[in-house]
Amino acid sequence: MSTLTKVLIVLLAFASIFLCGIVVTYVANADSYKHKLDNINAEKESLNKKVKELTKQLNEKSEQLKQTEEKLNSEIASLNTSKNDLRIKLENSEREKTSLLAKIESLTAATKDFYQTNEKQAEVLKNTLAELTKLQKEQAENRVELDKVLAELNAKQNVIASLEEEKRSLMEQKAQLQDKIDMMLNPGRRTAKTSSLIPKKTTTEPAPAAVANTDGPIQGTITAVDLKNSMASVSVGKNDGVKEGMKLHVVRGDDFICDINIIDVEAGEAIGVLELVQKQPQVGDVVTNNL
Amino acid sequence: MSPNGQTPAEKVTASNNIYTAVLALAFCVVLVTAAFVAIKCISQYGTIFKIP
Repeated sequence: MSTLTKVLIVLLAFASIFLCGIVVTYVANADSYKHKLDNINAEKESLNKKVKELTKQLNEKSEQLKQTEEKLNSEIASLNTSKNDLRIKLENSEREKTSLLAKIESLTAATKDFYQTNEKQAEVLKNTLAELTKLQKEQAENRVELDKVLAELNAKQNVIASLEEEKRSLMEQKAQLQDKIDMMLNPGRRTAKTSSLIPKKTTTEPAPAAVANTDGPIQGTITAVDLKNSMASVSVGKNDGVKEGMKLHVVRGDDFICDINIIDVEAGEAIGVLELVQKQPQVGDVVTNNL
Repeated sequence: MSPNGQTPAEKVTASNNIYTAVLALAFCVVLVTAAFVAIKCISQYGTIFKIP
């Protein structure tokens, strides 16, 4: 065997071993593309499933979104209509507000005027009450004087009556004397009418006590009230000078209550219709014909 | 007859057995490598020569 053959054998052996080592190393370290392909396919299928599920969810969400959009559109339309209604109501309420404010202003002005007139009327009422008290004092004084005059008048009437009695008795005596003289002068002649010479009794007696007192003040109380028929009865009647058609005033303290127009009068009481009612009359309120 | 005129009864013997051993080793290494590659191909692709 030549040397060249030996060298070739050794080189071939080492070269083959070296190449085999390289091949084994490469194959051992090579990736399994089939396995990778399987994994990729599995991932692809899973991703496809996910994509399908997501598309389904997307479709469902889109349908829900459409439904909610339709609902919201309908709600928006209804809200717009209600908004328009509310706007119209607001405008109407603002108009009413302005009109009410104008009314309030007019009422405040009227109230101010009313207060002013009320104050003036209060002053006038005070003055009138002062005059009334003065007149009542004067009336009391006049009444006292009137009573005195009536007493003097009664006394004078009594004197006149006694004088007339005396005159009548004197006339009777005169007639008797005249008859006696005639009898003595003309015994056959019958006695003349002497009774005609006697004056008849005149009616100069004073008025009885039962005559109504129409000039003096009348004062009584309410004995019954019928508010349904606006009627009331009072404790004064004919004996106190009350007449039909007379107006009596009802007062309670210093307050004026109403008027009573008398329609029926009896001896001790009267019935009338309520007029100018300011407050509700009650039993026991004072009734008078002079405030 | 041999072309060199030698007798056919003579046996061919290796001048040195170490080179034979080296050749055998190289052959075995190549054979093991081919088997390893074949096993790998079968395990990964299921075949040796076809492309899956």
